[in-house]
Amino acid sequence: MADDPDHDGIDDPKEYRWETGYERTWESIKEDEDGMIDAAIAELIQKAKRKRQHDKTAQNRLGMMRHVFLIVDCTENMNTSDLKPSRLFCTVKLLEMFIQEFFDQNPISQMGIIALKGKRAEKLTELTGTSKKHIQVVQELTKLNPSGEPSLQNGLDMALKALKVLPTHASREILVIMGSLTTCDPVDINATVESLKTEGIRTSIISLSAEIRICRYITSETNGNFGAVLDDSHFKDQLMAHIDPPQAAQTQENSLIKMGFPHPRAEEGKGPILSMCMCHIDNKDDPSKLSSAGFHCPQCLSKYCELPVECLSCGLTLVSAPHLARSYHHLFPVKQFREVLFNGQSDKCYACQKVFTAEADKHVYFCEMCEQFYCCDCDLFVHDTMHTCVGCNTLPGVQKRIALKVSGGQGGFGI
Amino acid sequence: MTSKSGSILLMKPSNIDCKDLQSYLKTRPPELLEKIYHYPTICLAVYRELPEISRQFVIRILFVEQPVPQAVVASWGSQIFAKEQAIATSCLTELNVWRVAAIPGGLPAWELSSTFSKNLKIALLGGGRPWSMSTFMDGPKPKEVSFLDTYAMSRWRCVLHYMVGAGSNSKIRENEGISPDAVRILLHANLMRRDERDGTPSITRQGFQFLLLNSQAQVWHFMLQYLDTCEERGLNLPECLSMLFQLSFSTLGKDYSSEGMSSGMLTFLQHLREFGLVYQRKRKEGRFYPTRLSLNITNKNAIVPSVGNDDDKVEENGYIVVETNFRVYAYTDSNLQVALLGLFTELLYRFPNLIVGVLTRDSVRQALKGGITAEQIVSYLQQYAHPNMINTESAVKTRSSLPPTVVDQIKLWENERNRFVYTEGVVYNQFLSQADFITLRDYALSINVLVWQSERNRTMVVTKNGHDDVKKFWKRYSKNGG
Amino acid sequence: MESNEADISLLVVILDTNPSQKIIRKNAHAMTQCIDAVVAFGNTHLMQKSQNKLAVIACHHSVTEFLYPTAGKLEVRQVDGQYEIFTLVEKTVKHRLAELINSAPRIVQPCESLLAGSISMALAYIARVNRNKSVGMRLSSRILIVTGSNECASQYMTYMNVFFTAQKQGVTIDVCALDKSLSLLQQGTDITGGQYLKLPQLDGVLQYLLWVFLPDHQTRDKLVLPPASKVDYRAACFCHRELIDIGYVCSVCLSIFCKITPICGTCQTVFKNSAPIREKKKRTIK
Repeated sequence: MADDPDHDGIDDPKEYRWETGYERTWESIKEDEDGMIDAAIAELIQKAKRKRQHDKTAQNRLGMMRHVFLIVDCTENMNTSDLKPSRLFCTVKLLEMFIQEFFDQNPISQMGIIALKGKRAEKLTELTGTSKKHIQVVQELTKLNPSGEPSLQNGLDMALKALKVLPTHASREILVIMGSLTTCDPVDINATVESLKTEGIRTSIISLSAEIRICRYITSETNGNFGAVLDDSHFKDQLMAHIDPPQAAQTQENSLIKMGFPHPRAEEGKGPILSMCMCHIDNKDDPSKLSSAGFHCPQCLSKYCELPVECLSCGLTLVSAPHLARSYHHLFPVKQFREVLFNGQSDKCYACQKVFTAEADKHVYFCEMCEQFYCCDCDLFVHDTMHTCVGCNTLPGVQKRIALKVSGGQGGFGI
Repeated sequence: MTSKSGSILLMKPSNIDCKDLQSYLKTRPPELLEKIYHYPTICLAVYRELPEISRQFVIRILFVEQPVPQAVVASWGSQIFAKEQAIATSCLTELNVWRVAAIPGGLPAWELSSTFSKNLKIALLGGGRPWSMSTFMDGPKPKEVSFLDTYAMSRWRCVLHYMVGAGSNSKIRENEGISPDAVRILLHANLMRRDERDGTPSITRQGFQFLLLNSQAQVWHFMLQYLDTCEERGLNLPECLSMLFQLSFSTLGKDYSSEGMSSGMLTFLQHLREFGLVYQRKRKEGRFYPTRLSLNITNKNAIVPSVGNDDDKVEENGYIVVETNFRVYAYTDSNLQVALLGLFTELLYRFPNLIVGVLTRDSVRQALKGGITAEQIVSYLQQYAHPNMINTESAVKTRSSLPPTVVDQIKLWENERNRFVYTEGVVYNQFLSQADFITLRDYALSINVLVWQSERNRTMVVTKNGHDDVKKFWKRYSKNGG
Repeated sequence: MESNEADISLLVVILDTNPSQKIIRKNAHAMTQCIDAVVAFGNTHLMQKSQNKLAVIACHHSVTEFLYPTAGKLEVRQVDGQYEIFTLVEKTVKHRLAELINSAPRIVQPCESLLAGSISMALAYIARVNRNKSVGMRLSSRILIVTGSNECASQYMTYMNVFFTAQKQGVTIDVCALDKSLSLLQQGTDITGGQYLKLPQLDGVLQYLLWVFLPDHQTRDKLVLPPASKVDYRAACFCHRELIDIGYVCSVCLSIFCKITPICGTCQTVFKNSAPIREKKKRTIK
């Protein structure tokens, strides 16, 4: 994958698959005594899972606040059925998943979508922080009949125009999904690339067909990633790699952002006040209803149905504390467990209580902080899903020890 | 004008009637219910079979020692689900779990049957006497679960084999015979029928339908039939039921004692042993082991956990693969399973561990003619679907492991046979004028009772229920000299 | 999702057995009362359907351990009319708890209960049961926390991580607060769609448990349960740990401050402008 240092940069010697060494994949599969290969395959899968995990390293400076424009190619080449059932359908399906996951993991980020239709770029959604509208728009793409040629430049220009005006404390990104091998541009695209570079907008491109020089060039100029997909699962991996926040760019300015934390306004003894919400005030299909539920902006007291949102009247960003907390795990990842050969160190997995057996568990995983042993599944669960080590949080004293070890200036976290 | 009432005998094919515990108990007299609620096991079993909302209601008033106003109980449920709540309430009444009581102030109230609540509490919290088969024994002697499974299935298959084989090639299976008692139950249950000429039993259409059920349902149906006849054998019905549920709530692989059982119960135990519901090494041995067949006897979805197996990996018994091209592959060497598949598939090849067949219109129609319904064929294929079929992505999503095309086609083949819809009705014909006919027809149409009409023949058919109205209208109409 | 008879419902009860809880220090019988109630409640859950499953975790001051199920099997015979499996649950829980209390180091000073960690252990267990279920089965799981402790701010991050994990895995978290009201755990119930109940008094605890927490997720829609109160989602600033309405968030690490500072106390980032950037563009309402 593109995170891999070996694959970054244009003049990397092992850039193409056919230039890399001959992989004798069959040799790594060994039969066991019964002539079965299940165990060997399971081990390979396990290794692959762990490798992915290892690629994530602790970074303390991330661009947590992201403004991303998604540019989707909707031209003739998206009809090709090398991805099943067609490139466009496959893209839409994966994007639905991507958008959901993106807002799940990047709660205070915003996204907008641009479609490339027959040499023109069309902005489908403005930058907003809720997934609902994006998903709806993306689903409607399937009704389209893709035709013509795309213009990469028009798309990038449109995104650039929208991102340029945004404050620089946010990480500004563009992600292009390109089906076509060509682009039909009005003027020299290098000018656009140059301004992307000066603005510090990270541009990443996923190509569904093959590697294209100009795409590779744009991404390397702007610090983005380039990827050409092999099949749908590879496509998914490539896409999902963009979910984790990128490292904060050097040019990015850091600042404090003023935010509001709305809370239910109920006075003692009185019922909550009835009011109308601001988010549906212009909406004619679904007009705003008079109700007591909702969140009030602490600055101007306008009401909104859901968070996070930017206050329409005073411009304050409104969030709830758990929204922020959702992304803390990017900043404080769980330390990797050490893989050790199993020789009866512990009779069961500390987390899930699975009893270790010599046949099923060749390796067990050891957390150096709490000094407990875990099974492979829990290792993955802890690092991929929960982001919390079970032992470190159930044994008293371990937290204090960790705090001492990493007290290199970090303050405490919590309320 | 004349009208003729058509008394067409509506031939409904008599299908196998599988009752669950609830409908079985609902048909019993209340005195019997009161009597069986003296057994904590039965209370437990009855409780589990109640609808979800009823269970919540029972739990809420279980520890309330006085009647609870009906209005209060009604307020517990959400209004949106009022219908479901009504079902739950009536179910509790019908099963005699609670009854109407009056509280001071004249409000109607619900009160749990004191026997039921007392014994349910015993089952839940303890107290009372131990269950009859749990007498203390020196030293536990657990048995291998796999051993018990093989034993149980081989015994049960004997019964099934007997049903399939008895008619045609009974000579071969002489040694696999079952006791005359079991045969009597099969005959009583209408699963088999004695031949009019030579008196040998042969399988009925209900019998075939019975074979297509899963073994859990088979055992339950069979035991219900057994219980029907148990009074004749001089056994006490409540005692038998309680014994059956004790087995149903026991732990697989654990030994239980028959010490202190009445002679009736010992006989019952021997019968259960014959069908494979319990394993006993020798007739006289005081130790016996319940098998998988007797566990969770009323619940066809239950998975049966076993001793020492924490992870509940239930061994898969699915062996059938159905493809979208209507081919059926069955990984089996059992003659019984082959025979069952042969009921509705055309068998193509047979290998030592695999048979290949194809579902064709003819083969399915053959089965439908034999009284098997499409639903039963589908559920049989579904229930024995190979694990690989269940694991496919589409199967997980739709909860059905069969290709939808095949399911639809089987149902269409069944519908082909149901092109006639029988409606009881009355024919009106020989009208004197077209105007008379049209007036009467329009009237029938307006009150929604017209089944069929033909203007040319001046003939119409109205439903039986509508006959009175139409007749009255006609009398009024003709009196007015229309 | 429609509920299906074949669904397995797994209930994990986390019982806070930390002796520094106020209700236990005040009244030694409170502990016994709670354990009895939790066992009876667990057994009632098992009574609902034969495929229901139960696990009980004790969160003690020194360690978190599974009380039921355990790896070693206890051989039980019926002593009275109680259903064998219920007896097994009761015996195992009490036996294991006695072991746990006897082996635990003496408590020197009151300490917090590490409930967030216990939830993470419960989630790991649920994930394992989910992996091992047989094909075609569906598992719906929930966690019930019974505690009289105070919640501790130092576990905030762990709490949030486990709540979001639970939400993602479709696990409902229910909380029964015996003593103090717990705002953090209440947030957890709100995030995962569970029930939060603060007991008015300890007497009749079983009845409360049965009323509010016994119905599973689908059944709860059909019953009238206590309405959820509004949850306070305000953030607390990192500098003074006070709840704030309007705060300043570091764009790099999302730390929250109540006042403008030149350097982020968490990630040491130096902020460029001393004045905070206000979103400049102001949209007008059409």
